[in-house]
Amino acid sequence: MSEKVNLNVNGIEIESDPNKLLIEACEDSGIHIPRFCWHKRLDPVGMCRMCLVEVETPRGKMLVPSCTTEVSDEMVVDTESDVVKKAQEGVLEFLLINHPLDCPICDKAGECPLQDQTMAYGPGESRFVEEKRHFEKPINISEIILLDRERCILCARCTRFSDEISGDPLIEFIQRGNKTEVNTFPNEPFKSYFSGNTVQICPVGALTSTSYRFKARPWDLKSTRSTCNGCPTGCSIELNSSQNKMLRILGVDNDAVNQGWMCDKGRYNFEYLNSDSRLKTPLKMMDNKLVEIEIQDVYSELTEFIKDRQTKVNFLLGSNLTNEDYVAFREFSKTISQSESSFYLNDDLLYKGFFGDNIELAKIDDLNSSDAIVVWAEDLKEKLPVLYLRIRQAVKNGVKLIVFGHTNETLSDIADVFYGKDMVSENFEILKDLSKMKEINNLVVGKNITAILGKSTPYQADESITKLFEFLNSNANSKVLNAYSKGNTYGAFQTLENLKGLNDFVNDISKDNTDLLFIVGADPIGRSVYSNQIKSIIKSIDTVVTLDNFNHETSELSDYVVPISSTLGEKEGTFTNIEFRTSRIEKLVPSPGQTVSDWEFITSLMNFAGLKAEANSLEDLNRKAYENLDSSLSPVFDNLDKPSNLDGMINISKPKISTSENKLNKTMFFTGEKLYGDSATERHSDSISMLGSKKFIEVSESVVEKYNLTSGSCTLTQDELEVTVSYEVNNNFPNDLVYIPTNRRELNKFDFSREILIIPTQVKEALNVN
Amino acid sequence: MSWDDKLLKQAKKIIKLYPQKRSALGPLLHLAQSKDGYISDDSITVISELVGITEVQVKSVSTFYSMYKQEPTGKYLLSVCKSISCEINNSSEVINKVQEFTGLNNNETDEEELFTFEAVECIGACGGAPAVQVNYETVEGVTPENAINLCEWLKETKPDVVVADEMQENFGGIKSFDWAIQDNSGATSTAPGFQTLKTTEVKK
Ligand code: SF4
Ligand code: SF4
Ligand code: FES
Ligand code: FES
Repeated sequence: MSEKVNLNVNGIEIESDPNKLLIEACEDSGIHIPRFCWHKRLDPVGMCRMCLVEVETPRGKMLVPSCTTEVSDEMVVDTESDVVKKAQEGVLEFLLINHPLDCPICDKAGECPLQDQTMAYGPGESRFVEEKRHFEKPINISEIILLDRERCILCARCTRFSDEISGDPLIEFIQRGNKTEVNTFPNEPFKSYFSGNTVQICPVGALTSTSYRFKARPWDLKSTRSTCNGCPTGCSIELNSSQNKMLRILGVDNDAVNQGWMCDKGRYNFEYLNSDSRLKTPLKMMDNKLVEIEIQDVYSELTEFIKDRQTKVNFLLGSNLTNEDYVAFREFSKTISQSESSFYLNDDLLYKGFFGDNIELAKIDDLNSSDAIVVWAEDLKEKLPVLYLRIRQAVKNGVKLIVFGHTNETLSDIADVFYGKDMVSENFEILKDLSKMKEINNLVVGKNITAILGKSTPYQADESITKLFEFLNSNANSKVLNAYSKGNTYGAFQTLENLKGLNDFVNDISKDNTDLLFIVGADPIGRSVYSNQIKSIIKSIDTVVTLDNFNHETSELSDYVVPISSTLGEKEGTFTNIEFRTSRIEKLVPSPGQTVSDWEFITSLMNFAGLKAEANSLEDLNRKAYENLDSSLSPVFDNLDKPSNLDGMINISKPKISTSENKLNKTMFFTGEKLYGDSATERHSDSISMLGSKKFIEVSESVVEKYNLTSGSCTLTQDELEVTVSYEVNNNFPNDLVYIPTNRRELNKFDFSREILIIPTQVKEALNVN
Repeated sequence: MSWDDKLLKQAKKIIKLYPQKRSALGPLLHLAQSKDGYISDDSITVISELVGITEVQVKSVSTFYSMYKQEPTGKYLLSVCKSISCEINNSSEVINKVQEFTGLNNNETDEEELFTFEAVECIGACGGAPAVQVNYETVEGVTPENAINLCEWLKETKPDVVVADEMQENFGGIKSFDWAIQDNSGATSTAPGFQTLKTTEVKK
């Protein structure tokens, strides 16, 4: 049914797709109907009655909620009649009966739908003289979210979000009638990776975040649209600042990408921008101490190295640079050295991926139009959170989901088929013949498939994923979404050739082939599983220059440390997401002290050294980044700034990744990363810093028995290193497997190719006593 | 889990009666009510695991319906109707007498945990107003005097099974409808008597 229906609204003929809700059809034609509970991305419930309109029926005109009424041909609607106005006044009068009207101390005031709609449609006066209902003012429903039940108008947006969208319904309506309130179960807080979205969609100030509470008034905020560079999903966001301080990030509804949602880490991991511990002046290592120097001195001292074109220079780049930054380093490398430089991405899991000529790459939207989604990658909820939401959405729309691997448990509850430990071994190999599996034959063979593929842990052999890929490629009509999970990895892919990973860094780099090493926005010593090896390499290299926002374990071993501005809100550029969609990164706040952008630093250095830089401005770099692309289609600033391209432009240029296979031995321990860790930026973002601070491991049941674990905690030891962790049993794991989240510091310091000892805490204490 | 094996087995049987696990939520809550006399948070945790929804979702349902009690009840839940038909047939006096006898305000339980009193909306026995329920077993045409007699009888004999027909005979008046079948089964707890839930027994 693609035919349109015609309806008459307020005397105007409008056209709509059939099956649309009246409120949406009107909105599309520029007729606004007030609402509280209805939200485009949630199922309608008709809770609030604010959207009542008059519709002509065979029995005369009737008031109907436009958010639960579908359009039909020749429908006659009045959204402004006296009856409608009276209804709206009535609804608002009722809503305000129990509303505390504490707007002067409410964060929502100024951008509050209840305030705005009371102004526009309200009766102006209340006849209610009785006592309003009272609740304890705000209660913490999680470590980062507060709830003021007096302000709540019971629209069920938050509860529907947590049930329908994020799938962690830890908040619900409790009690009934006049006593109804939103709440959690006792001792079961609203622990969700997506809880910030409920604050954003709450139509009143009932839900607030610890991060933004009492920080600013909306009319004082400056804002700009940008892109989150937290992971390759690349959610569209709005940055808000006041008095040059970043104060809040909101999700923007980009239909093809995040549909308005964000993960909480993306939303709240910005507070570090305002931290006093930010690096503000360049540092130089003198007598084993980093001391402040002038940036001019850094330029002139480094010039000494690069003037001599014999200097061998290599780069270890983080994944949170802009595409323009990457290009700046690329151009720099071309001019400074006779020998070729290599670029290493700060990623333990970089592998070759599936980009061959005969491979069709998937877009995020393909998830919705495929027959089935096949996933074998890191845990997507931890690593690509909003992509995980898009998978949930597809499944809700009837797309089948087949999930491989014991590490992907967060998808297992919505998967049609979850191939856990019976199918995937502790070596991360598929144990059974795929062509003989009934479910595969039913759901996959001959169907349209979107395959989300990636490595689950460094020691997983590339071959095991390739096998699955090849099966899908030859037995189904498949598209592939390569699931690299770090920041602007795809931007690096688009701008740098022959990229390598940290495993290659460890294999390749030594003082023989590197005189000067640039480490940009990366703390591999604090985060990589190759920490120890990288540490000794870095120590051995003559000159190491680190560019970053904070001092960290890696910068502390560097010869020069240059403070840089953050990609989040402090500079302009572009970002490329998992589907090669490039969109704008915008600047909203100044960066502190003597910080510079990566690209500024590197072009200034070239100019200082008298090297001719081909690209001298951000615009030059931006053009250079896409010079191979047809200019009308390329995501250069001029094109991206066109209103039709605000959601970004897709441009696929298949990357050449020249990483070699990871050579970590398989032991009982496998590593991964959780959403929250304790990287420098997270530690300095106060409202979320506690979320990634706990040190823990996950173990299979058999490990508990084998090591006699009873107390809930144990100590991991290897050589001199001892880390006490709590452990959680994971029943999805095959026998004798231990998961270690390495984005919690110290836990990455083990040598994972050798055995690590597990000592139950009590036994150890007993030993200490003796 | 705080439910014993017997109860768990019964719960699983109930779940099997439904195409989806979560559809069994209502009956399981009755089961919890019959076990503890209210819906404890422990029971909520058990049920949430059994039917695969979150605890707060179970809590949401259990606090929505007034028959799932949030506080422990006494052995006998006395529900006196206060809606219109009963009201015009003198139910307020029935309420007064019951309150006097038990010393309880609305929704209170006495210290011996014998009685819980509540004044409720229409219980569907308007034809026999005023109506009273003891553990959801309905007695119709209850005069204020008979209401006291009923309470006294409960207090003295403390029957483990309360049977509607028996109470009707001894303490009731006119009935809205006579089924003409003697039913000797009654309720054994403050949850309504259902055979599938084993909350009903035949009184010997
Ligand atoms: S807390 Fe906000 S979003 Fe949730 S029901 Fe209340 S008003 Fe709606
Ligand atoms: S899912 Fe990724 S891109 Fe989106 S908000 Fe989270 S970190 Fe940022
Ligand atoms: S918006 Fe339609 S009832 Fe709330
Ligand atoms: S009014 Fe009392 S039973 Fe209906």
